[in-house]
Amino acid sequence: MAGQTPGMFGSSRNVAVNSTLQNEAKSDFSDKQTLLAVLQFLKKNNLKGTEDLLKREAGIKDDDVIPQTAPPSETDVSHALAAYKSADDPSLYMDHYTDLKNFIESCLDVHKVELSMVLYPVFVHMYLELVYNEHERHAIIFFQKFSIEQEDYYQDDLNQLSTVTKKEHMKGNQLMENFKGSRFVIKMSRDSYNHLKRHLQEKKMKPLLNIIQEHLFIDVFDGVPRSKQQIQATSGAVLGENERDANKAKVFYGLLKEPEINMPVEEEEESVEVTDKSKKKKVKKDPLLTKKAKNDPHAPQLNRIPLPEMKDNDKLEKITAYREALRRVKVGRDHPPTICFYTMLNSYKGVTSLDIAEDSSLMAAGFADSTIRVFSMTPQPLRCMKIASSLEGIDKEADDVLERMMDDRTASDSKLLLGHSGPVYAARFSRDRKYLISSSEDGTVRLWSLFTWTNLVCYKGHNHPVWDVEFSPYGHYFVSVGQDRVARLWSTDHHQPLRMFAGHLSDVDCVKFHPNSNYVVTGSSDRTIRLWDILNGNCVRLLTGHKGSVQVLAFTPDGRFLASAGVDCMVLLWDIASGTLLAQMKGHTETVYSLCFGRDGAALASGGLDCSVKLWDIARVIQEIDTEADISIPSSVNVNDNPKLLLESYSTKATPVLALHFTRRNLLIASGPAQIPESTKT
Amino acid sequence: MSAPPAKSSPRDAQVMGAILKDLGVADYEPRLINQMLEFVYRYVTDVLDDAKVYSNHASKKSIDTEDVKLAVQCRMDHSFTTPPPKDLLMEVSKHKNGQVLPLIKPYTGLRLPPDRYCLSSTNYKLAGQRTKKQSRIQIGLPMGQFPQRLSLNPLVHGKVSGSGSQTALTVVTKSMGMPTVTLVTKSSQQQHQQQMKPAIRISSGLNPLGGAKSFNLTSPSINIQGASQTLMGQPSLGQMSLKRKHEDDDYDNPT
Repeated sequence: MAGQTPGMFGSSRNVAVNSTLQNEAKSDFSDKQTLLAVLQFLKKNNLKGTEDLLKREAGIKDDDVIPQTAPPSETDVSHALAAYKSADDPSLYMDHYTDLKNFIESCLDVHKVELSMVLYPVFVHMYLELVYNEHERHAIIFFQKFSIEQEDYYQDDLNQLSTVTKKEHMKGNQLMENFKGSRFVIKMSRDSYNHLKRHLQEKKMKPLLNIIQEHLFIDVFDGVPRSKQQIQATSGAVLGENERDANKAKVFYGLLKEPEINMPVEEEEESVEVTDKSKKKKVKKDPLLTKKAKNDPHAPQLNRIPLPEMKDNDKLEKITAYREALRRVKVGRDHPPTICFYTMLNSYKGVTSLDIAEDSSLMAAGFADSTIRVFSMTPQPLRCMKIASSLEGIDKEADDVLERMMDDRTASDSKLLLGHSGPVYAARFSRDRKYLISSSEDGTVRLWSLFTWTNLVCYKGHNHPVWDVEFSPYGHYFVSVGQDRVARLWSTDHHQPLRMFAGHLSDVDCVKFHPNSNYVVTGSSDRTIRLWDILNGNCVRLLTGHKGSVQVLAFTPDGRFLASAGVDCMVLLWDIASGTLLAQMKGHTETVYSLCFGRDGAALASGGLDCSVKLWDIARVIQEIDTEADISIPSSVNVNDNPKLLLESYSTKATPVLALHFTRRNLLIASGPAQIPESTKT
Repeated sequence: MSAPPAKSSPRDAQVMGAILKDLGVADYEPRLINQMLEFVYRYVTDVLDDAKVYSNHASKKSIDTEDVKLAVQCRMDHSFTTPPPKDLLMEVSKHKNGQVLPLIKPYTGLRLPPDRYCLSSTNYKLAGQRTKKQSRIQIGLPMGQFPQRLSLNPLVHGKVSGSGSQTALTVVTKSMGMPTVTLVTKSSQQQHQQQMKPAIRISSGLNPLGGAKSFNLTSPSINIQGASQTLMGQPSLGQMSLKRKHEDDDYDNPT
């Protein structure tokens, strides 16, 4: 018989039920329904002992008992929600939770920090079970008591969950669906895990065991338990940390092999006597180029993804870029940069995005009134291309045909682009400065020509606001991300996307191409960063550690490292090859909206809503990387959060920094809309 | 940016302030309360109006909870669409990511989608070329002949105005977007010796620029496709449309 002894009344019921069982034929399917009905009746009348006994005797599992109040719809959500059904007494939950908390407190310090990671998901799932089983009052009390004890970075999610108090609320809540649909991942050392398992088996707390088995995924690793600092570094995402397998795939993070261009090496003090022709005919292979010509094992093949071929224009551009790079200034620990700040006046509440072209000659500003303005940053004004009839008259073989085709009468310092029907959230230039791509709240992505200053194509695919868009470094492809949680890869000549990267649990806020154009990285409001492979659409890296939405990303020029920042005011540096966090750079006090690496990758500039530009020492981080550590064991990865990483901090008076850009010579250009201080403040 | 609504403000405004406080929103402009109030008012009136319509439709005396539920559901599907669920997204993306990235054709100038998807064409049509309403297509016939027309098509929606008189013009009214085939046969004393050739004129529904010009014919200049009177397949006859056909949909797989 069962451990519990039912009361007098209960035992008589027990006997009656037993006899009913014996009378009817065993394991007759239609009788099963009768059994279920009996179970329902017992449950209604709260005859717990009898019910358990009957269940055990008849061999009926919990899942078979369908509550009468179950929603009739067949959606996955309600199926998944039905798993929350539990016949347990609501007050037990509080006791179990407190018990678990006390147990964790009583553990050794080494295990305590690891085990305390279990508390948050257990709390959430317990709360949701209470709500599903319609124990509203208990749920609210439970929530109020324990929610404040959870970590800070979960408070936002908990606020959202607090609105779910009735079963009807559950269906619409996206956060809830996230919790229900996937398992919360926790990485734990084997010792702590065994400890926990032993305790739970001893205590036999059924609902707790159920929750842990179904909703949690504990990734056990063999090694020393992690310290609080290490755990804090990588926790914070909506669904816990990343599993070991998530970062296993090989990533080609090297740069593409540049085609050899015969660079005529000109010297500054070219004397007149030396004939130009002879100098130009001499083809010199520059040592920098020959170094890159060696095959980098980490670089992808040139034909891995189709890329547009290099045209003559592109080659000329490369030569100019190379020449400018020779005159580059060093920016790093002992060489603070020169910063040129462009302030946008009279438009604080209007500017939603800023971007500067790669050669620093153009700046694009997207506004909340759905316009885009392109400014010229050089003394040369912006001109429009001549109309078709005039174009026919010019000599195509002339050297300055590119000048001749522009109409000087239309020259002006800035051009206005109209076309969107909602605030423009991103406006980016292509590398060759022929196109501008923009995305807006109206769900469209528009391609503009910077020769005719007109809208060429409107790409419709997202039905929700598109938060960011970016051109590939080699042109032809661009990727857009939005509120619908997917990133889409398009090419300019297809009206539909080529790839869809789905996997994020919440809006995707920012996107960047890798310098070799084979990968795309996205940052999202679910506080994770994902690296996607364009070739097959797989997510090859999942990086957790941010405690707030990720708003901006940046790759180092050599493609090895990724910097990210967002609402949690921290700038994190990741190693792409292994998917580990290298450094945490704290210093900002408000959301960071812009990041830019110096052209040689030794320094990182960041700017945000706290109206300051901060410079970080990346060379030091790279120096201090522990190459001996075994990255497969999470506890041997140490995160560098040396306060000395902050080199300089420059404040503006009242202008948030929305755009940062290092020119080819390492001059830092920053830009932002001037924030006029409110005269009346309560 | 502002304190919660003062005690003297209307109760609804205070409710809004309490909602914001509950959700942890501490900093907001005072305009937000007004915006929320407006939204709530508009939403509730819309839902109740819809519920009234539904309850009338079901011939009920007054609004029921079910009517309200239905009204809320319809409005949710209409205005407040949420992004698609994750499983659907994963499925679609799996399908799309399975396709190979299309190759890039070399030596092309501007790489843009086909003209249909670009915004590069004009957004106007000159008025001078059309003398009648756009939906009509004129078939002009030589003067002085009695046209005998068979218009055989189940496709013509509009009415066919026959010409019993001596007018040379017959006008066929048809709706836009439907290519039609009108079989026109002429018989005349003058052309008895000629064979009766059915003249078939096809025009696609999207009226090409010159489509509605009135023909001034002395000889049948209508396209003649042959003696068969059968209704031939539309696509093969549609070749004379001035617009580029839809083969551009296959531009990834060159034929």
